[in-house]
Amino acid sequence: MTAAVFTVKGTRATARVLLRTAGALLCALGLAVMAQGLAVPIKARVAQVLLDRAFARSLAEGHPVRPWPWADTMPVARLTLPRLGASDVVLSGGSGQALAFGPTVVPNRRDGGGGSGAGADVTIVAAHRDTHFAFLRNARAGDAIDVQAIGGAHRRYRVTSFQVVRWDGFAAPRDPARPLLALVTCYPFGATEHGPLRFIVWAEAL
Amino acid sequence: MVLSRISFLSGRSRCRIALALALLLAVVGGTLLAGRLQAEDAPADGDAIGSGTLLLSGKGVAESLPAVRLGTDMDVTVSGPIARVRVTQAFRNTSDRWMEATYLYPLPEDGAVDSLKMVVGDRVIVGHIKRRAEAREIYEKARERGQKAGLVEAERPNMFRNSVANVGPGETVLIQIEYQAPVRQVSGEFALRLPLVVGPRYVPAQATAENPARSETAVAKDIDEVTAPLAAPALGKGLNPVSITVHLAPGFVPANLISPYHRIAVSDDGAQARTIRLADGAVPADRDFELRWRSASADPTLSLFRQALDGKDYVMASIVPPARLPQGKAPPREMVFVIDNSGSMGGQSMDAAKESLLHALDTLRPEDRFNVIRFDDTMTQLFEQSVPATPEQIATARRFTEGLEANGGTEMLPALKAALVDATPDDVKGVRQVIFLTDGDLSNEKDMMAEIAAHGGRSRVFMVGIGSAPNTFLMRRMAEAGRGTYTNIGDGSEVNAKMNALLDRLKAPVARDLTVTVDGAPLDFTPRRLPDLYAGEPLVLLGQGQNLSGRLTVSGMIGDKPWSQTVDLSAAVDSPAVARLWANRRVAEIEAARAAGETEDDQADGQIAELGLAYSLVTSQTSLVAVDETPTRPAGARLTREELPLLLPAGWDFDTLFNGAAAHATPPAAGAEAGEAEAVTLPRTATGYMALVEKGGLALLLGVALLLAGARRKVRV
Repeated sequence: MTAAVFTVKGTRATARVLLRTAGALLCALGLAVMAQGLAVPIKARVAQVLLDRAFARSLAEGHPVRPWPWADTMPVARLTLPRLGASDVVLSGGSGQALAFGPTVVPNRRDGGGGSGAGADVTIVAAHRDTHFAFLRNARAGDAIDVQAIGGAHRRYRVTSFQVVRWDGFAAPRDPARPLLALVTCYPFGATEHGPLRFIVWAEAL
Repeated sequence: MVLSRISFLSGRSRCRIALALALLLAVVGGTLLAGRLQAEDAPADGDAIGSGTLLLSGKGVAESLPAVRLGTDMDVTVSGPIARVRVTQAFRNTSDRWMEATYLYPLPEDGAVDSLKMVVGDRVIVGHIKRRAEAREIYEKARERGQKAGLVEAERPNMFRNSVANVGPGETVLIQIEYQAPVRQVSGEFALRLPLVVGPRYVPAQATAENPARSETAVAKDIDEVTAPLAAPALGKGLNPVSITVHLAPGFVPANLISPYHRIAVSDDGAQARTIRLADGAVPADRDFELRWRSASADPTLSLFRQALDGKDYVMASIVPPARLPQGKAPPREMVFVIDNSGSMGGQSMDAAKESLLHALDTLRPEDRFNVIRFDDTMTQLFEQSVPATPEQIATARRFTEGLEANGGTEMLPALKAALVDATPDDVKGVRQVIFLTDGDLSNEKDMMAEIAAHGGRSRVFMVGIGSAPNTFLMRRMAEAGRGTYTNIGDGSEVNAKMNALLDRLKAPVARDLTVTVDGAPLDFTPRRLPDLYAGEPLVLLGQGQNLSGRLTVSGMIGDKPWSQTVDLSAAVDSPAVARLWANRRVAEIEAARAAGETEDDQADGQIAELGLAYSLVTSQTSLVAVDETPTRPAGARLTREELPLLLPAGWDFDTLFNGAAAHATPPAAGAEAGEAEAVTLPRTATGYMALVEKGGLALLLGVALLLAGARRKVRV
C-alpha cells in the first residue's frame, strides 16, 4: 500500500510537468495557427488600402500603376455594389497570389482583350468567399453593380441570376447580346475547407 | 497498471483528466468534421449540376453514343527483335440505318501495315495495295454501289484511318490489319509499345509570319486528316474497348516482364516463351500499352536476321557497342530546355513535365550553361541567351518552371527556332544539347524536321515524350534529325528513373563517327546517315543486296579511341519480316530527306509509292482496299456516314484543351440563347482562414486548460 502511494506521488509530479509542457506547446501552436489564419483577412484589408491608392493614381495617370514595387499584378478596375456597401479594387491575372489581395479578372476569350467574334464582352471576376467576395452571399437579383475601369469610364450592371457549378464545369457565352459580368467565388459559403463548387453571380450591362 | 493508478487518484484529478480528454476529443472531432464538410461539398455525380452544349474546335465532341460501336483486339507475336501485330476491329452497327464508319487510330511510328482482311459473315475479303487516290476511288465506287468495302489509309506514319462502308442494320463487319515493328532495345531492356489512342492534335493557324508557306488549304487538310471527334467525358470510358494478347518469344529466357500502364497476367509457354494478357480483359483505349522485358542471362550484344525475297537478300543487324568505362568528368555543356505548356499538356502531363525539368535543373554543374524556353501558342525565353548555371540562375529557373500552367495551342516551331540559336557555333569541343519536354500533339511535324535539318548545327536534340499517348513519330524523327535520343515518360512516378537514365546518356555519346563497310557483295543500308550512339543503345541496320555474303564491319570512335566490330553475315538467322522492315525504314528515310529539303516532293512521292506497291505497305502514297463484290445495301436505302469518336488520352484535362473551348453548362443568363459557350476554369476561391483560426483557437483553449490543471495542482501541493 505504501509503495502504491509513493508511485502515485511520483506519477503526479511527472504528470504535472507533462501537463504544463503540453499546455505551453499547445498554446504556442494555437497562437501560431491563429496568427496564420488571421493574417489572411488582414493582408486582404491592407492590400485593398494600398490598392485604393494605386487605383486612384492609375485613374489620374491613365495607365495601371503597381500597388507596391514588387507586385506581380496591377489594378484594372473598381467594382462597387452600393446596396451592400461593398467596394473592391479588381486586379489583373487570375493567379492565386493576386487573389489574396483582391478580386482578380479570370482571362477568357471574350474579356474584351481582342477576342474574335461579334458579340459583347464577358468579364469574369473571382475572389475569395471569406474575404473580398463574402458579400456575394447577400446579393439579390436586381442589385446594381458599378465597374469603373482605369480609363475612368463607368459601366453599370444589374444582377440577373445565380448559378452553382463545379470549378471545371463553368461556361461563358461566346457571343452574348450584351456585355456580361460574372462574379465567382467558392461555394458553399459556410464551409471551412476547399470544395469543388463555385457560386456565380451573373450580371448584365444596362 | 494504468487503470489501477487512476483509481488511486483523487476525484478532482479524475475530473481534470476527463476535462483534458474531452478537449482533446473536441479538437480531433472538430478536425474530422471539417474534413466531412469538404467531402459533402463534392457531389457524387459531377454532371448533376447543369448540363448543356459542348463545342470544340477541330471536329467537336460527341455527346451521344455513336451508332457504330467498335471493339478492338490486338494479337501480338514477338519473335526475336520483331513484333507482328494483328489488329481486329469489329464495327457493330447498333442502329437501323445503313452506316459508313471511319476510325482514326495510332500505330508505332515504325510500324508497317501490310495486310488487310475484311470479314463479312463467313466470307473473308483480302485487301490489295493500290496508290492512294486509286484506292479511295475504288472504295468510293463500291460505297455508291452498295457493296461492303474497307479502306486503310496512312494519315501520318504513325496515324491510320480505317473506313468501312455499307454496314447493314444490326450487322457486324470485322476489319483486320496486320503490321510489324521492330522491338526497341535500350541498355539491355526490350520494349514493345502499342499506341492505343490518338491524342487530339493542335493544328497551327495558317500563314504566320514565321511560316508564310502554310496555306489555308493545308490547314483544312490537316484538320481533316489528323483530328477526330472526342467522346464527351459523360459517355464514360466504355467506348472502343481493346483487348491485348502478346505471345512473347524473344529467343532467350525473358525476365523482368513489366507493363507500366496496364495490369497484365503472364503464363509460361515453355522455357523461352510467355503469353501475356491484360488482367482486366478489355480496357478503354485511352493510353498506350507498353511491355518491357530483359534477358535472364547476359545482355545480348548482337542479333542478325536475314530474309530472301524475290531474288534479293535482306539483312537486319543490331549491334551494341561496349559500354565505355566512366572516365573523368564530362566536358562543360550548354543545355537548352524547352517545355511545352500548351493546353494538351493539362493535367498529369504538365506536372510530369515540370517535375522532369526541375529534376534536370538540379543536375546542372556550375561550369554548365543553360536556358529554359516555354511555349504554347506564345513562347517565353527565360534568359536572352544561355547563362552559367549559378545557384541564383537555377533558382530563377525553378521559380519560372513551378509557375507554368497548361493553356493554349501548341506552336512548337518558334520555340524550336529559338532553341537552335547557337551563340558559339564553331565551338566544336563544347557540347550543346536541346531537351524538349512535350507530348508532341501537333500536326505540322514536317516543319519541325525541316527546321532541325536546316539549322541544327552542332546542337543535339533530345526528346522527352510526356503523357499517356505522346506523338512518338514526331519524337523519334526529331531526335533522329537532331542526332539525339527519345525517352518517354508516361506519368509522374517514372520521372526520376527515366530522367536519370536520360541525363546519364546525355553526358556524352558513347560511339560517334560511325561507318559501315561490307566486304563481299555490296549492300544498300538504311539508315544511310548513321547516328551517334548513346550508352546502351544499339545500332540497328537494315540492308538489301543481291546476295548475302562476307562480313560486315561497323567502326567508329568510342571516346577518343577507335572501335570496330565485325560480324559474319552468313551466320544470320532467317526471319520473314526483314524485307518489309527494310522497305518501311527506307520510306521513313525518304520522308526525312523530303522534310530536310533534299528531295523534291514529286520525286519523294514517286519513290514512296514504288516501295509501297512493291512491298505491299500502307504509306502516305499507298492504301489497302478491300471490296466485297456482292452488293448488299438495297438500292433505295440511304447511307449514313459516321466518324467514331475517340477517348481523350488518360491524364488529359478535358477542359484545358483548346484553351478551354469546351463547356458543360450554359449559364442561365443572356448566354442561354447564344448557344456557343466557352469553358473557363475557375480558380480556387476560399482562403479557409476561419478553419485555421478555429483550429488554432481550439489548440489554445486546450493548452490553457492543461496549464490551469497543472497550476492549480501546484498550489494544492
